[in-house]
Amino acid sequence: MLFFRSEEQVRDWCAAYDQPLRPLVTLDQLWGLATTWYSTRLQEDSRRPKPDEMREIFAGLGLEGDFWDPTSDSFG
Amino acid sequence: MDFDTQIKLVVYRQFAKTGQRPSTESVAARVGSDVESVLDAYLRLRSQRVLSLEADGSSIRMAPPFSGVPTQHAVIVDGTQYFANCAWDAVAIPAALHRSGIVYSRCEQSGEPLHLGVGLEGPEPSTWIFHCLVPAAKWWDDIVFT
Repeated sequence: MLFFRSEEQVRDWCAAYDQPLRPLVTLDQLWGLATTWYSTRLQEDSRRPKPDEMREIFAGLGLEGDFWDPTSDSFG
Repeated sequence: MDFDTQIKLVVYRQFAKTGQRPSTESVAARVGSDVESVLDAYLRLRSQRVLSLEADGSSIRMAPPFSGVPTQHAVIVDGTQYFANCAWDAVAIPAALHRSGIVYSRCEQSGEPLHLGVGLEGPEPSTWIFHCLVPAAKWWDDIVFT
């Protein structure tokens, strides 16, 4: 899970390392992931989101498809 | 509060206070228990995916979003330096602490430095991008690589 300056840099990196291009995430979307996952992490009753909750979080941020499905078996 | 929750909170609050991982001995002392019981709790917390250990089976590698070892993703909050496990976790450290901070990282392709201010309402406007190579279903197959 890495930062890149631009989509072009992501594409160059994927080509250089023979890796697939995955969905790109803006920093606003990343903030949504950060807050939904971790804003309560220092509290007693905190826990990692469950798969259904993860799907809901991702969909709410516009991150949909098999790549973001925590139970997908599309990737072997 | 159950034992595992006590352990989790001691670990996470140590990271939050100092930016450093606690030793197993210090965690045991804080909860009035022994090292073996703490290590057993670590394994249960690992299964809940809130902790990851080094190969030695006792040193904390990750208590997401905090990293127990230095990484390329540093975060400064109120003068304390934290290390994050990945780009996501770098932005998440200010979110977890409910404090403003600055993320220091880099573009993985060009090496261009990233200095990103993160406030209580989110990061400053930026066109930088986050890219995750591993699908969500596989993240914890090898969480360090992810």
